[in-house]
Amino acid sequence: MHKLSNKKRLVIFLLLGVAIYFLSGAVDELRVYQGASVAVFVVGISSIILLTGYSGQVSLGQGALLGVGGYAAALMRIHYNAPIWLCFSAAIIVAAIAGALLGLAAARLSGPYLAGTTLALAVGLPSIANQFSLLGGEQGLLFDVGFPPLSLGQDFTQYKWFFWIASLATLIAIFWLQNVMRSRYGRSWKAVRGNDVAAELAGINLTRNKTLAFTLSAGLAGLSGALLAMTIGTVSPSAFPLSLSFSLLTGAVLSGVTTLGGVMIGSVTLVAIPEIAGAVASRLGSSEAVTNNLPGLLVSALLILTVLFVPNGPVEQLRYRREHRVKK
Amino acid sequence: MNRRTLISASAVLAVAALTATSLPAQAAEVGVSSTSITLGMTLPMTGTASPGYNKIPGAMKAYFDYLNANGGVNGRSINLKVEDDQYVPTQAVAKTNKLILQDKVMALLAPLGTANNKAVAASVNPARRGVPVLFVNTGFSGFADTKKYPTTYAILPSYVMEAKIMAQYIKDNFAGKTLGLVYQDDDFGTDALKGFTQAGVTFAAKVAYASGSQSATTAAGWVSKLSAAKCDVVILFGVSSATAAGLGTAAALKYAPQWILGSVGGDATTIKAAGVPAGVLYNAVGASFAPATTDMTDDYVKLFSDIYAKAVPGSAFDNNVLIGMNTAFVAAQALKAAGTSPTRASLLAAIDSKGSTFASAALLPLNYSKTSHVGYNGYWFGKYSPTGDLKPVDGKYVLYTTDSGSGAVVKSTWTRPAMPAKGLPQ
Amino acid sequence: MIQFINTILIGLTSGAIYSLMAMAIVLVWRSTRVINFAQAGLALASAYIGYQVMQSVSNYWVALIVAMFAGAALSALIEIAFMRLLLKHTSSGPIASVAPIIATLGLLGIIKAGIAMIWGGQDVVVKPPLSNTGFSIGTHTLVFSPMKLAIVISVATLVLVFSVIFQRTNIGLALRASAFAPEIARLAGVRVDLVRTLGWALSGAAGAVAGLLLTSNGNGSFSPESMEFSLLLISGFIAAVIGGLESLVGAVIGALVLGLVTSFVLMYISGSLFFIAPFVVLLLVLFIRPQGIIGVKAGRRA
Repeated sequence: MHKLSNKKRLVIFLLLGVAIYFLSGAVDELRVYQGASVAVFVVGISSIILLTGYSGQVSLGQGALLGVGGYAAALMRIHYNAPIWLCFSAAIIVAAIAGALLGLAAARLSGPYLAGTTLALAVGLPSIANQFSLLGGEQGLLFDVGFPPLSLGQDFTQYKWFFWIASLATLIAIFWLQNVMRSRYGRSWKAVRGNDVAAELAGINLTRNKTLAFTLSAGLAGLSGALLAMTIGTVSPSAFPLSLSFSLLTGAVLSGVTTLGGVMIGSVTLVAIPEIAGAVASRLGSSEAVTNNLPGLLVSALLILTVLFVPNGPVEQLRYRREHRVKK
Repeated sequence: MNRRTLISASAVLAVAALTATSLPAQAAEVGVSSTSITLGMTLPMTGTASPGYNKIPGAMKAYFDYLNANGGVNGRSINLKVEDDQYVPTQAVAKTNKLILQDKVMALLAPLGTANNKAVAASVNPARRGVPVLFVNTGFSGFADTKKYPTTYAILPSYVMEAKIMAQYIKDNFAGKTLGLVYQDDDFGTDALKGFTQAGVTFAAKVAYASGSQSATTAAGWVSKLSAAKCDVVILFGVSSATAAGLGTAAALKYAPQWILGSVGGDATTIKAAGVPAGVLYNAVGASFAPATTDMTDDYVKLFSDIYAKAVPGSAFDNNVLIGMNTAFVAAQALKAAGTSPTRASLLAAIDSKGSTFASAALLPLNYSKTSHVGYNGYWFGKYSPTGDLKPVDGKYVLYTTDSGSGAVVKSTWTRPAMPAKGLPQ
Repeated sequence: MIQFINTILIGLTSGAIYSLMAMAIVLVWRSTRVINFAQAGLALASAYIGYQVMQSVSNYWVALIVAMFAGAALSALIEIAFMRLLLKHTSSGPIASVAPIIATLGLLGIIKAGIAMIWGGQDVVVKPPLSNTGFSIGTHTLVFSPMKLAIVISVATLVLVFSVIFQRTNIGLALRASAFAPEIARLAGVRVDLVRTLGWALSGAAGAVAGLLLTSNGNGSFSPESMEFSLLLISGFIAAVIGGLESLVGAVIGALVLGLVTSFVLMYISGSLFFIAPFVVLLLVLFIRPQGIIGVKAGRRA
């Protein structure tokens, strides 16, 4: 398996950026908005790939960390009128700190205990907003990134601006994440995931290793949360429900939780399913109840099918098959 | 296929998916064709806050079907697309995006919820897109601000108005009693608090509940606080499910103060459907701006309940239905006034110039003008009968009006003009 | 004073319901080493089945029994049709440890969506058979009614029955043996697969009763999105974890502790903390005693 050199990867990312630029001009606003949503999921899912796929720790509460990032960004904007990049940076840093704390606590837990704690976190953390009026309660806070600069023209829509910001942030985040995963940190996570006793014997400090994974993963989640807040325009407890954590986990499994390569698959699927389901349901002339719940049903069914038949994700599955074919 | 190819392939897949289903360009005005006008609505059809309000789409569609069968508006039929947002602001944003960007509705009609409308205004920004937001189903006083929400029109009296009028009623009828209040912990509730503070009302106990947390279990805590403060008169200013939870739990705990129910949550049918015995409602005080739903001497009530009974047989004609159909009626008149080639701009102009002359079932006039997007501005008070129906005190409607500012509460002398023929726009 | 007593009573009642859920989770964990998130979905489904039964036969207790058997049957079905397939496919690979968790989450999603499709998202009402008006002591009324008393008694009975099954019968012995050392149990003639399915069935029954009793703890109305059911999922799971995941007694104690603490927090600190309180309790317990209240510190498994 050959790896691309850093320079080649940088070129690929730049090309992707250019492609996205042209793309945003060619499609209508709904697609652009959905593109921004895809970007949100790409960053969110990659945070789970880092935590669960590489470091082997399962978190059912990534949505809460998205919430931390979202609120941090909103507060920076409201109280200091900070520029967007600063708001996002604050989101990343604050979420990373939360992740570090969580990681320290989680390092001692494993399996169901970790799952339970993160599940409780997913549900409990957002509702803290109801306790402090600073956080805006159930209604939440507004997060307004402002209108696109006039230099881009009168017709430049708000959603296109969201899409540009989200795409840029995503490209940078994924590029950085790939770097990290190829570094010795990535290798040490894989080692711990494979066999933690052996890894410890080889000199890896388990607590520090796991906490680092949580911290970085949380930082990414915070960015994703800030991007989500940007696209919805508000942060509130109901913007980061338990179902968000489940969706991210689902997207990670659909993409192949152990590798970054298929992350688009999961993200696009999650955004596309409600629309596809809606089209299918109206074609069949279904009732209101069926139409509203079909997306949830499809996503859950996809999740189960993937876990059963393509557990490592399509990317790994293909590579596995190719390797086996060669070996014959 | 190696990994690099797969990554590129998935990127191409994304591109294809995005471009593949781009919609074709639209002619004329968005949402308007030669035969129909499409409107969009978001409200809770399911979820904790939905009881009662989920009847509104059925009610509005009943009126629009009746209207369409009678020639529609300037030859066009009115279609209403309804989306469920479960009273969650972020879902309201997503569904409104769908209505505006995908379904391409001409205008939004009666979107429900203070927090929801605020979130939509901040994110989707209908004002910037020129999309009219007609007759929002919330009493938040801020939505009448023409600078902040230039394309938004209120219709319900604001919560500030309601609170001030309630305060006047309390002063007239319950002077000296200990007061308690249950309100929703967001702009809906704080709007009411503003009004009460304006009117100089002090509460011995104020209980805020987080939207979505209302249930029999949490209501036990509310009742605990209210009875500990020995409140004789308690105002329930929440949504229907919160009001029902409060009443039901209080009855189970044998706590029976004088209840005053806010208009948002005061629909008797919904409360009874949640299991609250009619006896608990008996003699509670409630408010409305439309005629009582059991008042068959009223032309509008008779016509609307007829239409509804034929369209949705077996469903009770309650306040949600009456007000829903009324809003649909007003919207139809606005669309008619927008002309034979209606545009979003002409619709807005029509409401500004002719809105105050629109017919409606309410016992108060609409206050639309170029500088005012305020709809109704007052209430009458009544008591719930032994069967739990709201009836005006002494059988006479006495309407109090005020504003959302520091204006005084005065009795209204306005008489409602006769209903236009067949209840259709003229 | 009366508020203090009321707080305890509220906590005991909700704790009792959570304990059934916690027991359901422990039962499955002990027999299959899987945390079955779909259990909460089954509890919801059983409540709806109970509602459907009430539509034809207006007897609550009949509905409860039918719901219980339905829950047991559904749970067993999931074990046979789904879990065995899952465990076979994912016994190795990097996703092995998380696959069952994710799969049961998917199952939960399917069950919830299915329920909403069949019965709609609106509230349905199962009228509680007994009155919910509180008992009176002098001038004060307790937050404890004939219905709530029935709930507590039902739960206590069920816990007792389960304990007897596990500790005193041959089936119970077989259940414990299959979980502890499946190969040896097989050699001793125990039909391990059948016994495991039985464990799931019992779990389903417990969850079903929890679901229906939960609706009767309030005014009887519920929907797929009801806050009470979300709380049941979280609290049942946390209670099981607090109790140590290893014993039924632990599950019950964990649930009662959780119920009481949450009740006190809600009454005396703030009414909107009902989702944070379980989390804080969980953190505290795991911090002080990572193996849970009655857990046994597991040795390192190679």
